[in-house]
Amino acid sequence: MATDVDARTQSARPLPEAELERMLYLLMLSRYFDERTEALYRQGRLPGAIYSGRGQEGTHVGVVFPLRPQDSLFPTHRDLSAQLAKGLDLKRVMAQFWGRIDGYTRGRDGNSHIGDWFGSRTWTVMSHLPIAYPVACGAALAYQRRGQDTVAMGICGDGATSNGRWHEALNTSAIHRLPVVWVVNNNQFAYSTPNPLEFGVPTIAERADAYGMPGVRVDGGNVLEVYAAAKEAVDRARSGEGPTLIESVSLRWRGHAGHDPAKYVPKELLDEYMASHDPVANFQDWMLAEGLVDQDGIAQLDSRIQREFEEGYEFAQSSPYPEPEDATKGLWVEDGYWTSEPGRGGPTEAP
Amino acid sequence: MTATQKVEAGAAGHGAEPRGKRTEDGQATYLIAIAEALWEEMERDERVYCLGEDIGAYGGAFKVTEGFIERFGPERVMDTPIAEETIVGLAIGSAMEGMRPVAEFQYADFMSSGFDMITTALARVHYRSGVPLPVVLRGPSGGYVRASSFHSTNPEPWYAHAGGIKVICPAFPSDAKGLMKSAIRDDNPCMVLEHKWIYRRVKEHVPEDPDFLVPIGKADVKREGTDVSVITYGALVHKTLEAAEALERRGMSIEVVDLRTVYPLDEEAILRSIEKTSRALVVSESYRYAGIGAEVSATIAQRAFEHLDAPVERLSPPNMPIPFSPTLEDAFLPQVSDIEAAVERLSAW
Repeated sequence: MATDVDARTQSARPLPEAELERMLYLLMLSRYFDERTEALYRQGRLPGAIYSGRGQEGTHVGVVFPLRPQDSLFPTHRDLSAQLAKGLDLKRVMAQFWGRIDGYTRGRDGNSHIGDWFGSRTWTVMSHLPIAYPVACGAALAYQRRGQDTVAMGICGDGATSNGRWHEALNTSAIHRLPVVWVVNNNQFAYSTPNPLEFGVPTIAERADAYGMPGVRVDGGNVLEVYAAAKEAVDRARSGEGPTLIESVSLRWRGHAGHDPAKYVPKELLDEYMASHDPVANFQDWMLAEGLVDQDGIAQLDSRIQREFEEGYEFAQSSPYPEPEDATKGLWVEDGYWTSEPGRGGPTEAP
Repeated sequence: MTATQKVEAGAAGHGAEPRGKRTEDGQATYLIAIAEALWEEMERDERVYCLGEDIGAYGGAFKVTEGFIERFGPERVMDTPIAEETIVGLAIGSAMEGMRPVAEFQYADFMSSGFDMITTALARVHYRSGVPLPVVLRGPSGGYVRASSFHSTNPEPWYAHAGGIKVICPAFPSDAKGLMKSAIRDDNPCMVLEHKWIYRRVKEHVPEDPDFLVPIGKADVKREGTDVSVITYGALVHKTLEAAEALERRGMSIEVVDLRTVYPLDEEAILRSIEKTSRALVVSESYRYAGIGAEVSATIAQRAFEHLDAPVERLSPPNMPIPFSPTLEDAFLPQVSDIEAAVERLSAW
């Protein structure tokens, strides 16, 4: 009898135990990174800007989980959690935040304008939205033309769905049945502009009909619900059945960027989402209920994440700044900058 | 008298006649030379593909890709919706995955409908991330064909300012072929701004060697002279050569420097010519204000000051939209007579 119960529980789990543990780690890491970088930013110890993804980790981690290493990801500035889930190295991420040579862009860009095309297969984020959507179409076109079972995934926020490129990309992907998954992280605000001033239909997902692709709306506070929808969409794309639109609804708990107190978000709404749609807390509860982790295990994960953050911070501080003369290198392929080791003679103290 | 006056209805490209063939003695028009470049590179490298509006069965508005779909199929001669942002996006994304896209814009004017993808994405990917983008954007630019404000633009300064795209403006069929082939083989983003006035007007013997290349970023002296250097590119190379003929009959020796690539600029070739003539006229079809001619003039003023016997003279359109009516367009764009007059002003110093 006991064996039967175990088997039933096992089959209800969407992923192997080790993967679920990794999911929990990534959710908690994303939350911790977000909170700590915000604190450092407020203390004036972090240069540049921060774009908090807090409250949306369920979307970011959930959509990336069905992707294989060779699949490509085209995220935005708010989707660092998705990039971490795709495989970015925390040390190099932090070197990027501090403008150091070991950052993924070698100091050419900061914070979450990050990507690792040759490693984790992620697009180096640009601010203009949704600038990566048409590019994801191009990557998907290449997979299709070569008969590869590789998938491209584009992520943007609700705000970017008002831009013409969003429509161009969805339309083009449907025409050619491209192997692409479109994710909209609907956190209900485009900077300060709420959903009702962004689009005239009740949901973003229903727009999928107009392009000729399936559309699905999920609760971003439930990472497993997000994962299930993404898995179906990725499988569909991989098997040649074309694109899917996923609208994952959450709330942006913090401002657009570190400087924004987000007073335009109604307090009741924020309270509600923090209480009942917290993707990290919800998944922790599920893991505890499933007996996949206990409080000790969560405490150990916390310690591990804190340790990794400290190591990342130290790594970033000891990584040199780029040498000033490198500013004009690397525009053209033929100057060899990007295929050579970067100079490491820059200062390690802020100039 | 001049070719501009023989322009017939439809010269802007709509409903154009078949592309045509080389003459029996091997001469090709600029249009044919460009088509040969694309065809040969598609034969040579299966990663190369074309995309754009109406380039498949229709063969493109100017017939550059006429007959391509029969040879290469709809996947390598890909018709797109009217979605210029996505045309550029498709090119970038597929280039990131190792393909070598050549995107046609029906008119270079419509590149501005994809401006953000060109100037923000295409131009900045490699500098920020080290991912090469072997992308070619090409399309017909320029005026002198009574095509008015939306079919006559010379957008080269806009994209030269983007700072990560090589901008090529060939004037002769051989240069067009050799530069197009170089652009397709280049690992960086390149923009080839063809000139629609030249397409069917100029023909010459064009090399048939499939590895005939013209280097990007190198100017070429199209006519040797000793009195005045005229630095120009595109259709105005031909108008300058016509002016130089007339001026020679009046005893003036004009050197014509064809930039061929406007970014990066071949400063050394410009300076060599100024050292020889000591007088510079810079002629461009793009706007005078902060345009290609302005950059050339500033380079001469800064780097060849001690060689100059006269101030640098400039000839270029005003910073406003190009008009339609023949009288207005002729007044707006530099003409052969304007070039002659400017050279004479310079010579009088």
